[in-house]
Amino acid sequence: MKLYKKEGNVLQIISFPTENVEKGDYLLVEDADAGKALIAQVIDVQFAAVPGVLEELLRTLPDGGEPLQGEDIDPMEIAPHITYIQDASLLICKIRATLENEMLSPSSSWLPSRSQSTIKKLSIPMLMKLANVDGKLPIILGGTKDSSLLTIDASSIDGTLNIITGKKGCGKSHLSKLLMVNLVGYKATVVIFDLNGEYSSLGMTNDGKRNMYYDKIHTLTPAQNFKVALEQLHLNTVMGILVNALHLPGTSAREFRRLWRMLKEKGKLNMQELGEAIRDLNCNQHVRDALASRFHSFANSGFFTDSIGEAMLLDETLFRSKESGGAIVINLKNTSNIDRQIVVEYVLGKLVDSLSSWKLKAVFLFAEEAHLYLRETYWDDIVTRMRHYGIFTTFITNQPDTIQETIYRQADNIFLFNFTNEHDLDVVSRAARVDVETVRSIAHDLPPHHCLTLGRVVRDFPIVARVRALDIKTMGETRLFFNDKN
Amino acid sequence: MVIEQYTITNKYNFPQPNIDTILPQRFLEQSLNSLKQVQLHQPFQLNQAVQQFNITEIYQSNLQLKPQAIPLKPDHQETIIAAIDTSTIKIGETTTGIIVAVRGAATWRQNHAYKYTRLGPFIFHITEDNKNQLFNTLEHAYFCTTYGSMHQASPNLMQMPARLASLLERWLQTMLAKTINHGVLLFDGSLTAGTIDTPTQRLKEILNYARRSNTTVLAFSKATILRANGVLITEQLPNRDPPYLLETTGMQSKPPQTLLGDVYVARLNKANIAFRLDIDRETDFTQQVDAVQKLLGNDLYTQSYPETLRLSHILCTFTANEVLAIKHFITRKHGIQIINRPDMHKLLFGPFGHKGEIYS
Repeated sequence: MKLYKKEGNVLQIISFPTENVEKGDYLLVEDADAGKALIAQVIDVQFAAVPGVLEELLRTLPDGGEPLQGEDIDPMEIAPHITYIQDASLLICKIRATLENEMLSPSSSWLPSRSQSTIKKLSIPMLMKLANVDGKLPIILGGTKDSSLLTIDASSIDGTLNIITGKKGCGKSHLSKLLMVNLVGYKATVVIFDLNGEYSSLGMTNDGKRNMYYDKIHTLTPAQNFKVALEQLHLNTVMGILVNALHLPGTSAREFRRLWRMLKEKGKLNMQELGEAIRDLNCNQHVRDALASRFHSFANSGFFTDSIGEAMLLDETLFRSKESGGAIVINLKNTSNIDRQIVVEYVLGKLVDSLSSWKLKAVFLFAEEAHLYLRETYWDDIVTRMRHYGIFTTFITNQPDTIQETIYRQADNIFLFNFTNEHDLDVVSRAARVDVETVRSIAHDLPPHHCLTLGRVVRDFPIVARVRALDIKTMGETRLFFNDKN
Repeated sequence: MVIEQYTITNKYNFPQPNIDTILPQRFLEQSLNSLKQVQLHQPFQLNQAVQQFNITEIYQSNLQLKPQAIPLKPDHQETIIAAIDTSTIKIGETTTGIIVAVRGAATWRQNHAYKYTRLGPFIFHITEDNKNQLFNTLEHAYFCTTYGSMHQASPNLMQMPARLASLLERWLQTMLAKTINHGVLLFDGSLTAGTIDTPTQRLKEILNYARRSNTTVLAFSKATILRANGVLITEQLPNRDPPYLLETTGMQSKPPQTLLGDVYVARLNKANIAFRLDIDRETDFTQQVDAVQKLLGNDLYTQSYPETLRLSHILCTFTANEVLAIKHFITRKHGIQIINRPDMHKLLFGPFGHKGEIYS
């Protein structure tokens, strides 16, 4: 390989067919005299502009369009050299860092010697070693192209905002499961908003047996094994549900607050008493109607109960997970849009309560297709306010444009799977830790189950890895009509 | 020093009963020998302005164009149209000589399809010390004589590429003249013999072989300096529909040059372009015209130039990519180090230093 050009932080390198360099590979451009080296990543492979190639191709086509048939008697065997030159490629590389005295710096301000620099491939393990990516809490994400393992440190997900995105069926949920079970393995508390009911089997192996996480996976299905009694609820949590999920106007909210306090003082805080109190409420008709309709939403959700024995408190599960780690799967499958919002509002309110009172240290929240249940104002809340309480969110989506731009800007890690649509890639490339060219070029060509990892977990060295298999019962597969017939 | 043995394929695509491969074999041997003579790691200078040598000739004549055009009618009787062209290019310079590459191409149209055989490239390191031995060995290999030494002083080093290409071209022409029956054989250039590159006897032999095979040789010149009444003969076209031939008279050659063909101006289609066409003068007029009509009926002739000959030229021409590949080959295979010496034209004249330009 030979250094050809440097423009800004982009290097152009001439490579020959035998050198076998592909997109995503890392190269070390070493200038021995300067005592420095550039670490650059190949983001595109193009044909080198070899003079005469056009003529070479054109002359094999006569006027008729059929390829010209003939025999080349080439006793000196020059033809392989012609092919060698003709197939030379131009590697477009992004400079990621400068290596000097075994220390990395993000600088690309110096110019290595074009004639004296040596260029060689930098293996992922070597890069990871230089970047100190591996830590005390390793999570093996998968295998890289050079058959090494991509291992990240669990602490690099701690306190961060993460996004897992890619088109349908490319392995997003699989990666989030991998992260979850590893976090649980390190005794972390994980909460999952499970839209399709695919995380409840995290505690089972593929053949249906219990795995090491079995006792740490707690699936809560609203209206089934996940119900709450009003008297166990804090007024703030209920107000959050009413105002944010059920859009209760301010005047009605004030009236509800008064009612709630009154019932609490009387020790009659239950659904039946609340219903009757609203019915008998002596106030403006519109206010009463507004409260009545919200009450019916409460009642219809099946999420609220008057029986304390039936109520399953989230607190209990959270505290159980606090000591030895655990995942609380909030199964939102078969839950209506309104009920989903009620449950999410409740869970988030509860988490903030528990975290603000230091009952919990921190929670890793995994939110799949969050736009379906998260109100707009919550996005900023999650990445700013809740982050300070200790809710570290990972958004999982196949529609990157449903996540607000502010989220991308603040994302610390992005796990990017294949996208073909340019618009989707444009959205993702708004992330502060990502450059547009890398995302556009590499993500576009990612095979299924391959993930481009960007951000803090890889010390800002984007790395492509095939996400490793998990011995966990798959539940997220699409149900197919023709499956049995095959 | 051990010389690596290369063999070349004895089988060619074009019909051939008794093709001898001594010349290509000698080309290869001499090529390898000459490259071995380059001292290991001897630097050679990249050719600053790559030039491809075309074999040209210069002679005087005093001729007239007959005003009456000979109309032509395409004859679609199935006839093999074959053409030959060679090319040579200087790859670079060493301290003792030059490195050149030579290649030849034979193209033919049969059953409405074009086919070709390309021979080469052969790469030579030519020095003042080896040029005579090199050339004479090659001449002797095929023609069993050393015309070069008989007819003229030692060739100039810079003429050697053209001489080698010419040798290969004549050999290819001989092969096709011997093997194609009832066909039309197209040469690039004229049928003027007695030049440095074309001894009269050699061209006569080629034409004889062709005649014996009932094949007519047509030689197309891409450019001519022949003038009638002071105007180029290819620019005195009558106001009539092509295709037609214009006959010339009064053509005289200066000894030792000999004209072995009758000279015509050929305009083969409506493109307003005409070419000098030499046709073997030992064939009678009717056969000459028939040959051109068979060409019209069996070949394409865009821009009034036969496609077979155009393809031959295109196939043997060295592209920049091939020049790079040859440099790569001699560096890897023969350890010749490539260096860039400063281009004096560029150095002295900056952006005005275009070495390849021709100024009038």
